[in-house]
Amino acid sequence: MLGRARFCFAAAIVAVGLLGGAHALLAHHSFAMFDTAKNVSLSGTVTSFEWTNPHAYIEMDVPEARGGVKHWSVEMGSPSILQQSGWKFRDLKAGDKITVTLSPLRNGDPGGLLIQATLPDGRVLGNGPGRGPAAPTPPAK
Amino acid sequence: MMRQSFLSCTLVVLTAIAAHAQTRPDFSGAWGPYRGGRGADPKLAAVPAAAPVLKEPYAKPYADRRAAAAAATQRGEPVATNGTLCVPYGFPTMMSVASYPVEFIQTPKQITIVTEAFSEVRRIFMDKPQMKIDDVPPGYYGRSVGKWEGDTLVVDTVGIKPAVQYQTIPHSDQMRITERIRLVAPNILHDQITIEDPVVLEKPITYTLAYSRMADYEMVEFVCDNNREYIDANGLVRMRIGGGK
Repeated sequence: MLGRARFCFAAAIVAVGLLGGAHALLAHHSFAMFDTAKNVSLSGTVTSFEWTNPHAYIEMDVPEARGGVKHWSVEMGSPSILQQSGWKFRDLKAGDKITVTLSPLRNGDPGGLLIQATLPDGRVLGNGPGRGPAAPTPPAK
Repeated sequence: MMRQSFLSCTLVVLTAIAAHAQTRPDFSGAWGPYRGGRGADPKLAAVPAAAPVLKEPYAKPYADRRAAAAAATQRGEPVATNGTLCVPYGFPTMMSVASYPVEFIQTPKQITIVTEAFSEVRRIFMDKPQMKIDDVPPGYYGRSVGKWEGDTLVVDTVGIKPAVQYQTIPHSDQMRITERIRLVAPNILHDQITIEDPVVLEKPITYTLAYSRMADYEMVEFVCDNNREYIDANGLVRMRIGGGK
C-alpha cells in the first residue's frame, strides 16, 4: 500500500513536471533540439562523467546490435540542478555499467537529454524538475 | 531633574532608532523560486507579466520575431540566443532562471545579489544617489540604487545595454526598472519588478517574483566552461557529441 502511494506521488511529480516544469530544467537553451516525445533506453559503459556547466554530461559507449559500439553524449542539467535530484559529482566514473533513458536529438546524432539513469548500485536518479525521480530511488534489493 | 529628563529623552530616541531599524528586514541568505502548490495562499504566489504592449515601430518586428522563434521551436530547430553562447542573462532576467537560487548579501551601504546560474552579480548602492541615465555605461546589470520605504526595499536601475532583453523585448536607453522587494511572510520574499520605457513600451511591464528561503543552502559555483551547443552554418543550434572536460 505504501509502495502504491509512493508510486502515485512519483507519478504525480512526473505528470506535473511534464505539464509545467519542462522548461524549468534547462536554463540556457531551448528544449527543441531534443525530441521529448520519444524515450530511448541505452545500456553501456561510462567513458567519462563531466560535472560541468552549463550542463553535466555522461559520455558512454553503447554496444550495437550488429556488433561494435556507438559513442553517445547524454546531456544533463547543471550541477546545481542535478544536486536537487540527489546527484553527487562522484556518482559515476569511467568503466561504470549504466542504463539511461533519454530524449534523443531530433537530427539523429547519438546524443540526447537525460530523463533518468540507473547506476551500478541500482539507484535511479532523475535530471531535475520533471525529469525522472525527484530524489534518488534506493538500490533494488 | 534635568539629568533625569536627559536620560529619558535619550531612551526615547534610542527606542525610536531601534524601532526604525526593526522595520528593515534582513534579506541575507539564499532564496529559491516559491512554487506554492495546492492549498497555498494565493497572495504569496508569483504574479506573471501581462502580454507586453509595444509602440511602433517596435511592435511589429517584435511580434514577427516571436512568431518566427515559436515556429522554429515547433520545427525542432531552436534559434540561437545569448544562452547558446553562454552569455549571461543580465538584469532583470537573472532574477528568475529555472529553479536556480539567488543569494542576497545585505549590509547597510550595499545589498549584493548573486545568482547561481552564471554566477551573476548585482550591487545595489544604499548610500548613493542615482546617476543620470546618460552617465551610466550600458551593461548587463546597469546601475542600481536602493532605499527603504518601511519594510520594502525600493531599487532603481538604469543603464541596461540593448542586447540584454527581458523575454526578447527590445528597449531603449531610457528604460528604467523599479523593484519593490519585501518579505510577505517570514520565509517568503517578493520582488515586484516594473519596467518602464517611454520610447518602446505603451505601458509599463510589471510582474512579481516569489522566493522561498533556503536555510543553510550553500550556493554552487557556475562557470560555463563546457558549452556543447553551437550554431551551425544555417543558424541552427546543435549539440556537439563527444566529451573533453
